[in-house]
Amino acid sequence: MKPPSSTSLASPSKPAGGTKAKRRDISVRFCGIAGDGVVTCGRILAGACASLGLDLMVNDIFSAEIRGKGKSTTTVRFSSRIVHSMGDGVEVLVGLAGKESIEEIKDVRPGGCVIYGSSIPGDLPEDDSLAAHVPPNIHGFGVPLRKLANQATGSNQGKNIVAMGALCYLYSLPQEAFIEQLRKNFGRKSSRALEVNIKAFTLGFEYCKEHYPLSFELEVLDTLEPRPLYTGNDALAHGALDWGLKFFAGYPITPATKIMEICAKELPKNGGWTIQVEDEIAAISNVMGAFFAGKRAMTSTAGPGLSLMSEMIGLAVMAEIPAVIVDVQRGGPATGMPTKVEQGDLNIALYGGAGDCPRVVMAPSTVRECYTGIQLALDLAEKYQTPVIFLSDLFLGQRMVTTSIPKRVERDRCTRKKPFPGELGTYERFKITEDGVSPLLIPGEEGGFYTITGLEHTPSGNPNFESNVHSMMTEKRYRKMKAMCVDLPPADVLGDKDALIGIVTWGSTLGSVVEGMELAREQGVKSKVLKSIMINPQHEDSFREFFASSARIIVPEVNYEGQYAALLKSRYGIQPVEMHISAVDPVSPAKIANRIIEVQDELTH
Amino acid sequence: MRYVIVGTGAAGATAARTIKRMDRDGEVVIIGDERFFPYNRYLLTEFLSGAVSAAELFHTSEEFFEAMDIRLRKGQAVERVYPNDKTIRFAHNEVMSYDRLLIATGRSPSLGPVLRPYAKLIQRYYTFEDILLIQKRLPEVREVIVSGRGLSALDLIQGMYRVGKKITYITRGQAIDVSTVESHLMGDLDSALAEREINFVHDDRIVAIECVDNRYLVKTFQGKELWGDLVFAWDNYTPNVGCLRNTGIEVKTGILVDLRMRSSAPEVYAAGDCVEIYHPTLKNYWINFGWPNAVEQGRIAGKNMAGDNEEYQIHETTLFNILGKPLEARWWD
Repeated sequence: MKPPSSTSLASPSKPAGGTKAKRRDISVRFCGIAGDGVVTCGRILAGACASLGLDLMVNDIFSAEIRGKGKSTTTVRFSSRIVHSMGDGVEVLVGLAGKESIEEIKDVRPGGCVIYGSSIPGDLPEDDSLAAHVPPNIHGFGVPLRKLANQATGSNQGKNIVAMGALCYLYSLPQEAFIEQLRKNFGRKSSRALEVNIKAFTLGFEYCKEHYPLSFELEVLDTLEPRPLYTGNDALAHGALDWGLKFFAGYPITPATKIMEICAKELPKNGGWTIQVEDEIAAISNVMGAFFAGKRAMTSTAGPGLSLMSEMIGLAVMAEIPAVIVDVQRGGPATGMPTKVEQGDLNIALYGGAGDCPRVVMAPSTVRECYTGIQLALDLAEKYQTPVIFLSDLFLGQRMVTTSIPKRVERDRCTRKKPFPGELGTYERFKITEDGVSPLLIPGEEGGFYTITGLEHTPSGNPNFESNVHSMMTEKRYRKMKAMCVDLPPADVLGDKDALIGIVTWGSTLGSVVEGMELAREQGVKSKVLKSIMINPQHEDSFREFFASSARIIVPEVNYEGQYAALLKSRYGIQPVEMHISAVDPVSPAKIANRIIEVQDELTH
Repeated sequence: MRYVIVGTGAAGATAARTIKRMDRDGEVVIIGDERFFPYNRYLLTEFLSGAVSAAELFHTSEEFFEAMDIRLRKGQAVERVYPNDKTIRFAHNEVMSYDRLLIATGRSPSLGPVLRPYAKLIQRYYTFEDILLIQKRLPEVREVIVSGRGLSALDLIQGMYRVGKKITYITRGQAIDVSTVESHLMGDLDSALAEREINFVHDDRIVAIECVDNRYLVKTFQGKELWGDLVFAWDNYTPNVGCLRNTGIEVKTGILVDLRMRSSAPEVYAAGDCVEIYHPTLKNYWINFGWPNAVEQGRIAGKNMAGDNEEYQIHETTLFNILGKPLEARWWD
């Protein structure tokens, strides 16, 4: 059986450029250097497509350097079908910076196109020319971006909007949807800003209409309704706020800062607080303090911040203080790759810190799950008096998607276990209970005095280092992990339930896996995937059932050593096919499909 | 050795193939301003009417260029040649060097001063892109108006007839204006067209065009007002020599070349519909349009660029088939 390659997913390389068939699925990549307006392009295109009711996903990849240095790309994939991932390759490359865009050409699918600036002043050496690198199976469209931008704005600014006009014409997209986005983007700045940007857009549109009259066509169904757009970070922050978050403490770090910005803006409106502290140790300490005092609290960080928080996570476990720590993962270790994605923090989330240190680890797979999942995280922390580490990642946190967010919020589904008034006289903060959860008083309540400590302690909270006490208390802390299973969402099986190939993945990789499964299915190979937001603890029975029904298990994840696969192997005794995908770019669905097909071939031969 | 060929038509593609066969190690770059792989322009009408497939229309493909190790740069216009520096400049300002250069830019339909103001209302009928645009518009088209000289007009009429459109043909003369067809065949041709109920407007020409409610109102010199859903019109075909203007390379209507397809500049050759070739008998330059001529000139140019020394033999007769009537022409217009 022939595995699909990334190119086989694209429109066939017809001499006519495939202009007759309407395209259902297009990916557009804008490439420029910082300051070229690449992100603005992505937002305008995404806004326009969302207003047309198309499903879409936007991924920004930018350098960690300051303006003027390094390359940025924004890729927008839009479709009249569901978009699960960024897919493989792009249909269109818009080269706002010609030289920097050259290496992006390899991602343009056959039959796709490159829009390049054709009014670059002076002699352009062949090696630096984007047009010179456009292969014959890709259409090149030269547009005098700089000249038209100058004509519209009187400066070199506005090339991106000219390119947007060109794109709008070349793909037969409704102009009005773009103009409306320009109004939203520039209208609030000044009427002059709006006017020159509309002019730049129109000049790009008209240029292509005159010089490249034969446009491609995109299938846009009239029945589609406008869609809202969210990033994972937006959804996560708003999920927490809607769930009654009252306190946020944090230290800015890419790619998590947006969560803090939203909380800083929104929390004061609801009587809450956001505090920017001196470092991540202070951030988690503040969160623990706030939660201890009865307020729902959260911090957000990235891998380096989670490292710093490890010791305080240990304290939260030992002292049984709730805390929610969001880790929007980026490439590591150390400072690593601040603007690139990696799922490399699973081990530190699961095991970071001293001693036997049980904690809840969750990983949302979709933007919608960022919203609902963080609410569950806050609930679990509150009810089970435990730190919850919520592992988002750069791709999930920063990508923008069309999605629906549930509006109904049940804030009281989870409450803190408190002692009855008659029990205050004999109140034990760490009372041994069947589910491991002890009643927890807000400090300062009359008659409810107690001590908490990072030292091992007796049920009353007094330090104690005897073996039997340590065993009893450790067991109690682990018992909570078992007990909370009743509150955990069941793991879902997606795909063909009767398939013999099972996939278990985590976090944002799920979208690419689902698309890879669809590609494999087109090749006649069925598969299924187990979707679980819970990494620790898990509904172990549903995992065991899934493994029992699968002849082979594939575990794809974006890290070098296969951290999730290692967990599954030790927890369930399975021997999966591991896919350790390198960091930086979103996961390729074609690679997932290839692996599924290879595993199928192994099973049948 | 870097061979640069400007033009992906019959002459350019043939020259590229010929050079590569003679000099496997030579670098061949072929540049065209159309964004499609090279195709047979003279089959466009058959493609439009469905008589030939895309596979038959395109005589080259991605695989062809890969296999031949020829670098194709399509959709990119060359703006100027600098023979002294041995460089060319693209419209996007890129500068590329060459060791030997072939200009094979073909020709294009042109509009005279009367029609030029109406260029945006006139549908071109010359490139594959034109055909695709026409295909897109055809479902809404019932009547077309054609005004133009030569076998191209007959070709277009044939295409529109085959796709079931009502045709009005405006001609300056008493009969169809194909001066290159042997005169004894003209009667046959006229009757073939008359049988197909083509509306002839004789001794007239277009002087104005208006777009009214997505239809076109054509006004003629004789005062007629004709309506159509598409208007095709041109005055002449002219060689594409813009990139050579004021470069010192000798150009009259076309690029002047000798029988070895050499221009007046060292290492610069030219072939196909853009050239005027020296006719030793006439002792003058001679325009030799047409696909077979272009192929042959491209072959000779390619051989000579790769180091051979062959002369072009002028062919004066080409056969055509229009509406079922075999016709002879000395050249294609």
